[in-house]
Order: sequence, then structure tokens, then C-alpha cells
Amino acid sequence: MVDTIVGTRIRQRRREIGITQAELARRIGISASYLNLIEWNKRPIAGTLLRNIAERLNLAIEDLDGASEHRLHETLVEIAHLPSLQGMNIESHRTSELIGRFPGWARSMAALARSEHEASARAQTLSERLSNDPFLNEAVHRMLTRIASIRSAAEILTDYPDAPEERKERFHHIISEESRVLSDIGEALAVYLDKAEEENRILTPIDEVEALFTARENHFAELEEFAEKLAPHLTSPHPVSRHAKALELTREHLSGLIKDLIGSHREVETAAARTRATQALMDYAVGAILMPMKAFQEYSDELRYDIEALSEVFSTGINAVCHRLTALPRTENVPRFGYFRANAAGTIIEMLGLPGLAIPRYAAACPLWVLYRAQQSPETVIRQRALFPSGARFVFVARARNTGPTGFGKPRHYVTDMLATSEADAQRTVYAAETNAPVEEVGPSCRLCPRRNCLHRVEDPLAA
Amino acid sequence: MTKRVLLAEDEPNIVESLTFLLERAGFEVGVESDGRQALESVLANVPDVLILDVMLPELDGYEILRRLRADQRAESLPVLMLTAKGQREDRETALECGADLFITKPFANAELVAAVERLAAQGSA
Repeated sequence: MVDTIVGTRIRQRRREIGITQAELARRIGISASYLNLIEWNKRPIAGTLLRNIAERLNLAIEDLDGASEHRLHETLVEIAHLPSLQGMNIESHRTSELIGRFPGWARSMAALARSEHEASARAQTLSERLSNDPFLNEAVHRMLTRIASIRSAAEILTDYPDAPEERKERFHHIISEESRVLSDIGEALAVYLDKAEEENRILTPIDEVEALFTARENHFAELEEFAEKLAPHLTSPHPVSRHAKALELTREHLSGLIKDLIGSHREVETAAARTRATQALMDYAVGAILMPMKAFQEYSDELRYDIEALSEVFSTGINAVCHRLTALPRTENVPRFGYFRANAAGTIIEMLGLPGLAIPRYAAACPLWVLYRAQQSPETVIRQRALFPSGARFVFVARARNTGPTGFGKPRHYVTDMLATSEADAQRTVYAAETNAPVEEVGPSCRLCPRRNCLHRVEDPLAA
Repeated sequence: MTKRVLLAEDEPNIVESLTFLLERAGFEVGVESDGRQALESVLANVPDVLILDVMLPELDGYEILRRLRADQRAESLPVLMLTAKGQREDRETALECGADLFITKPFANAELVAAVERLAAQGSA
């Protein structure tokens, strides 16, 4: 078994740094014969003694206690069973021996398998991205339309030499006009692809974290389960102390679980994304401890999803409440929420999307969303009935709050939290729109919006 | 008697080419550039052939076709769908909705005119 390699690792490491068994035994205060038994895996070892040995050997404890070997063992066994390696007669029953005798080779093999896995996952993401990218789809559609005009007009000029002069002139004009539009689209496409190249990857860390939340529908049942058990430890009525305690409990009890959770998700590939995902899941766990799901569901239902009332009941911020609302388990009678957060520059800094509702990151977003307007009247909840060009209707609820220290003469730095839900789902909430409430026409972004006469347009639509 | 083709298409330059070609082929050509009006126009005066673009403002080509096929007046009207989207699922959707033919942009003029002639003959057979 893997555990038997702890002694082997101690023996190897001691030899690497060139000290004798007797010397190490003396330094940690045990007999040389006892250390000998440990080194030959004939005595179990843990606790203080293991920590002392690790310290003397300049190693992290997980390098000795078998935890990292255990993970390596699992990885290698998994590799041995990969369908692509079937028929290679891998001696998976001797994996522990491989790790014990050739740890460097074993780790390299796991690293190779991991990078192969990451590379193919990335290739798949890129290929899906290419076929689903709204910008590329629109650009291709527009190019084909332009080419159709040019081809048809050119064929007419060739096939009908007897056509009246003024018609011929029109077709020449069409070819010249459409060629110009075609080269504009080509240029826009080249700029778009260059941008992707500059970033050297099409997915940003924020995209990766969003992909993780989307894959789990914003709900992490394993964290919820622990949070329910940890919640009773919050005894202070004071919001700041409750938050600090929730954070402490999360760090103490849930760090490992969060790490494993991120490790098990292909969506999170890069180190930068892992750091972001860890922070996002820590926040999730803190929210889950402050607002345990069962109680949160009951209050949400009773208060009809009123974010301010919920914030008061749970003595926590509006943003935390919005996060919790997106995490509500999917059942028939529960509205489905999305959440967006924007800073004063209008940059989206967080997005937990809803199906059919997204803000493009690489194009000018629609300024008509209440998300951007809420900072004109901070600390006030504003509702917007939004109608999209596709006919989809959403209800947006936004509120701007100050994020920095307050005091006389201090500048205010507002961010806006915005909750989104479909108009149908909004009927179950306090934000249900009265039938005569005004409906505002908004769009996804100028590029993708066909409302030609919009006064706020800053870019031409792609589908012109 | 001159056969009548209705062209439901919102790209003015394509409309201009197709009108020229179809008139040269001996058809009378009507044009609608908006989905809802195209539907009304067909039902008010059913043409011999309908050339229907998929991406139309107000009402898309698939929806128009579904409504036409559900209406006695136009259930057997020959329809040629025209679109820049050439993926297999688009073709399947068009045929499911009841299109007789499906041609993708960019098209060859001769191929399109031949298709319209075939549909017009089939309608009168």
C-alpha cells in the first residue's frame, strides 16, 4: 500500500542530504534502531515525530505523510486505466513500488498525463468556442450575404451583355459597394482574431471561473452540506463578527474541499483561474454559512425574494444575498436568478449569467441596462423591465453601493449589484411588474443589436 | 399566362439581382422585405412560387413557412428557402417546416433560376 512508502521516503531523503541514520535519530531524539524500523516501513509513523522528521529533512509534511503520494497513486492508477492505453499491460498493481523507487518518473508521468488532458480539453473548448462565437457567426453570415450579392451581380454582367446600360451601371455599383463592405468585415474579423492572439488564449481566467459556476448551475451541494453544520457556530449578533467567524470556519474546515472541488473541474485550467475560483468558492462558502440554504429558502419564499429584506434578516450585504439567490436549487416553483456586478467604469467584474442573457466582454455593452444607471442614485433599488430585440423579457433589479471607507471629504467608489430574472419568474417576486409598468428596449451590445435608430448606438451593427 | 414569383428578402442588392434575373426568365416579380408583410401578402394573393429568406425582420422565414403550411390557401404553394446559413440543421429545419427546396448564399444565378422554373412548373402540373 501507499502508506508503506513513508519510511522509504525518509530513508531516501536522509541519504540525499547526506546524514547517517544514527545522526538523524540523535537529532530527533529517538534510538537509531527505532528509526531503522521506521525507515523499513516496519513501524507506523505520524503526529509530532513525523513533523520533526520532516522539519529535519527540510520537507513539507505532505511529502512524507503519504498525502501527496496517495494522490499520485490515484492519478497513476487512473492513467493505467485510460482507454487510450488499453492493451499496454501496465502493471498497475505495482504502482506503489513505482512511486517508492522512482518518484521522479512517477511524478513526470502524472504531469505528462495532466498536460495532455489539459491540452485536449483546451482544444475542445476552442473548437466549441469557434462554432458558438456570436461575433464569428455574425461575421460569417454577413460575409456570405455580401459575397452572394457580388457573385450574382458579376454573373449578370457576364451572362447578359445585352442588359440596358443603366442596369449594368447599377450592377457595377453593387459590386463596388459590396466589396467595400466585405473588406470592412474582413478587417474587423482580423482585428478580432488578433486580439485573441494577443491574449494568447481565448478564455480569460474570469471566463474559466464562470464556466465552473455555469457547469454547476451556481450551486455547490457539497459546500452547502458542510455550511448547514457550521452555521450554528455563529453566535455573535454583530454582522462584522459573524462574517469574520464564517470566514474563519471556511478557512479551517472547507479549504481542502474547495481545493479538491476546483481540481476536479476541467473548466478551471490556469493558475490564475484557480486563484480566482478559490476566492469565489470561499465567498460562496462564507455566504452559505451566513445564510444556510434551508433557512434562506424559507425566508426567500416568505419575503418574495426581496433583496433588501433578506439582507436585513441575515445581517449581510445585498451582494451576498444576490449570490445566494443564484445558488437556489433548481425546482419548479423557484425563480431562476442571474447576477452582475459592474464598477464605476462600467466594467463587468462579476457575472453569474442566466440562459439567454449575457453581456459581451469584448464589445461595447448596451448602456441602457439599469446596471449602468443605478450609480446615478446610489443605495436605491431600481427595477427595469427590459425587452430584448429577440423578444425576450427580463426584469433587472439594481442597487449601487459604496465600497471604500466613508467619511467627510472621502471620495465614493460605487459598484452596482444587479439581479436578473425572466419576466415570468419575476411574477413570484416583489419585483413583479404591474402590467402598465413601462418596458424599456435594451440590447445585448451595439454590435449584436439590430435597433438601427437607437440614440445610444456607438458601433454599427454587424448584421447591417 | 405569366407566372408570379414573390421574393421575401431584405437585402436590397440581392433583391435587385434576383428581380433582374427572374424578369429576364419571364416571371412577374413582387418583393417584400419584412416577414410579417410577406406573410400577409402571400395570403392575400398566393403567388406561383415563393422565394423566402430565413433571416427576415419581424418574422423569420421558418415561422412564415409554418404559418403558410397551416393555412389552406398556401399549403401547397411551392417554396424555395434562401439563406446564408448553410449548416445541416438549417437545411433540416427548412425541410421540416415544409420548404420544397433550400439554396444557400452565395448561389449560382443559373441554378437559382432553374430551381424557380422547376417549382413553377411543378405548381401548375
